[in-house]
Amino acid sequence: MRTMHPTLLIGPADWDDQQMPLEEFKARLDALWRDDWQAGGAIVYGDAADHAALAYLTNFTPKLEPGIALLSRNGDARLLVGGGINMIPAAKPLTWVGNLLPLRSAAKTAAEWYTTLPGGSGLMLIGGDAMPYAMHNEIVAALGPDVGVDDGTPIVRTLMRHKSPRELAAIQEASLILGEAIAALQQAKDQGVSAAVLAAEHVAWHRGAQDVRSLFSLDGGRTLLPFDVPVSQAVDPLQVYLAVRHSGYWAEGFAMLSGRPHGPLIAAEAALQAVLAQVAPGVTPAALNETIATAMPAFGPHPVTAPSVIGIGLALQQDVAFDEPLGVGEVLSLRAGVSDPQQGSAMVSAMVAITESGCDVFWSAA
Amino acid sequence: MTFEERLTEIRRRMDAQGLDRIVAVHDGAHFIEKPDPVLVLTGFKSLGPCAVVLERGGRMTLVVTPAWDASRAARPGLHVVPAGDVVDGLAGLLDGHGVTGSVGLAAAPFGIAQRLTQLVPDAKPADDTVFVAAARKTDTEIAHAREATRIAELGFQRLLEIARPGVTEDELAVELRWHSKSLGAEDNFVLMCAGPHNKAVAPSHGRRLQAGDIIVVELTPSYRGQLVQICRTIVVGEASEVFRNKYALVVDAMHQGIKAAQPGVPMARVCQAINEVLEAEGYGEFCHPPHIRRRGHGLGFGSIEPGDVALDNQTILEPDMLFMIHPNQYLPETGYLLCGEPVLMTAQGAVPLTVQTATLAEIKL
Repeated sequence: MRTMHPTLLIGPADWDDQQMPLEEFKARLDALWRDDWQAGGAIVYGDAADHAALAYLTNFTPKLEPGIALLSRNGDARLLVGGGINMIPAAKPLTWVGNLLPLRSAAKTAAEWYTTLPGGSGLMLIGGDAMPYAMHNEIVAALGPDVGVDDGTPIVRTLMRHKSPRELAAIQEASLILGEAIAALQQAKDQGVSAAVLAAEHVAWHRGAQDVRSLFSLDGGRTLLPFDVPVSQAVDPLQVYLAVRHSGYWAEGFAMLSGRPHGPLIAAEAALQAVLAQVAPGVTPAALNETIATAMPAFGPHPVTAPSVIGIGLALQQDVAFDEPLGVGEVLSLRAGVSDPQQGSAMVSAMVAITESGCDVFWSAA
Repeated sequence: MTFEERLTEIRRRMDAQGLDRIVAVHDGAHFIEKPDPVLVLTGFKSLGPCAVVLERGGRMTLVVTPAWDASRAARPGLHVVPAGDVVDGLAGLLDGHGVTGSVGLAAAPFGIAQRLTQLVPDAKPADDTVFVAAARKTDTEIAHAREATRIAELGFQRLLEIARPGVTEDELAVELRWHSKSLGAEDNFVLMCAGPHNKAVAPSHGRRLQAGDIIVVELTPSYRGQLVQICRTIVVGEASEVFRNKYALVVDAMHQGIKAAQPGVPMARVCQAINEVLEAEGYGEFCHPPHIRRRGHGLGFGSIEPGDVALDNQTILEPDMLFMIHPNQYLPETGYLLCGEPVLMTAQGAVPLTVQTATLAEIKL
């Protein structure tokens, strides 16, 4: 889900080795090397807007400038962080990687690092599409034409689909905070749109959220807006989107609050309940999508909630393979949205984790 | 200057450079140091990647992702194209005839920029066409800057109220961003850290404040897409006499920089004026990296011209330019010290937008 991206990530992002111990990261790296047995090393890029893979492998959230991890199959790990040498102490608490270096001259540093790998090693570039064009070109040029560079991003995305128990705990906590924030929104909804959204955000921040994003509607849920200037008017129904990040992991929720019966909301809630009853291992996202669509035949689908089934975790939105059966440990956001020019609009959603016996509902608007 | 007058100036520059159109792209990842040509050209701050095609004749088309956000971008005279993918959205708009300039390409993500270069392989870099033309702020941007400054100063007061031993840097940062949002700022670059002897100002983390800490903070709210910044230093407890004297020195350097900022003067002179104060006190070696990179900077999110307050910036200052002057100096006796003001160039020189310029703050325990 796209929200307004903040200029600096400011929430708590320190590495907590009790919550996510080093062995968790080592297992991820082992899986990475296993899935690309030819690669001798990986260059992993992340910036404030797009760093799920970097966080997955290093725990590092690049709050200010981008970060690049240089990971070797032999276990050597280096992390290039922005801001010059004096910024390195501030980056240290955010990662298990001990060898931090300035990001400046990243291309030169990467080329020198490559020479430490066994001769002829292939490389994985992870997150390369998010890398600034100029930086990407400089790094590829510095490595030279003889270095084989494969896109390792799909490998990491696949690894990230199935969450470990520790990851599930983080997402569950994010979902709990989301629920408390939505409850605060409900409490404050008569105070005006901005006051209600700010009340929800405040609760989330004070519960230790690493990040909070919000969108709201002033037209009954037909469109969503980011915060621009305060809106003092109260609206009913109040449609919001709220995303909460905790310990690196996201939970998101669409909720519509109304003091009176609202046809589109009733339809969307029914569709969400129908799909929640169906979620289980072996079911495909395509089947869940179909259930949501057919459960509300009187309404058109809402463009904002398409697709109806997304993966979520270190990235706020991770594509799912629509025709692949779901497996235990996957975490989804299920979204039911309707929009009709005459009858109005509504969007609701739920956070679920696939279990052996079905699913755990971490949060639901229905 | 009005928004329309700026667009006219951009088109004049296109004409002078023989450009039939410019294609400007931004990825929606708003960052204080990354200028946003789409914001400059349309006033639209996007959620996702977006692009503008401006024809020399004046026709302007905005490609918006996600497609559902297109209605927010609607403006008189602007053709808005909703798209699932920004490059796909552009593909139908570029017929390949004429000379094309590209803006924002180097900073765009590789996944977008590479495809864009395939779409317009002969495009010439034309960043200056947009960003230099926007070095002078419009009347609306200046009004927004004044409001953002008001919010920044209130934010600093809030920080003085809540900063106490035991509170983490992260807790302060999130509270300050939330507070500024409650006052109307849609974003805030809250760069803040604390310690007994800071080497730099860095993003907050989980360290808890202690008595005797020095808090250094850049509060940078954005009001309707216009950033301003104030840079401040707070002692948690009582400052020593040495500390007060050194801070006064840095404040004096800042005011010398503000005084030097006159129309017709190169930006480098502002940096030089600051350095001279510090060099006279024997701190010459600390006037260069890694201790200091620059003495200020332009203020986006649109154009970040006139650029850094640095010795190598020969940009000539003009009225309506808006930028930061911040000595932000490391001194061995005190560690890193922050003081800085947003200044607006006028015919008479640089004028701070703040009501209260930087003084050393102390939190009594």
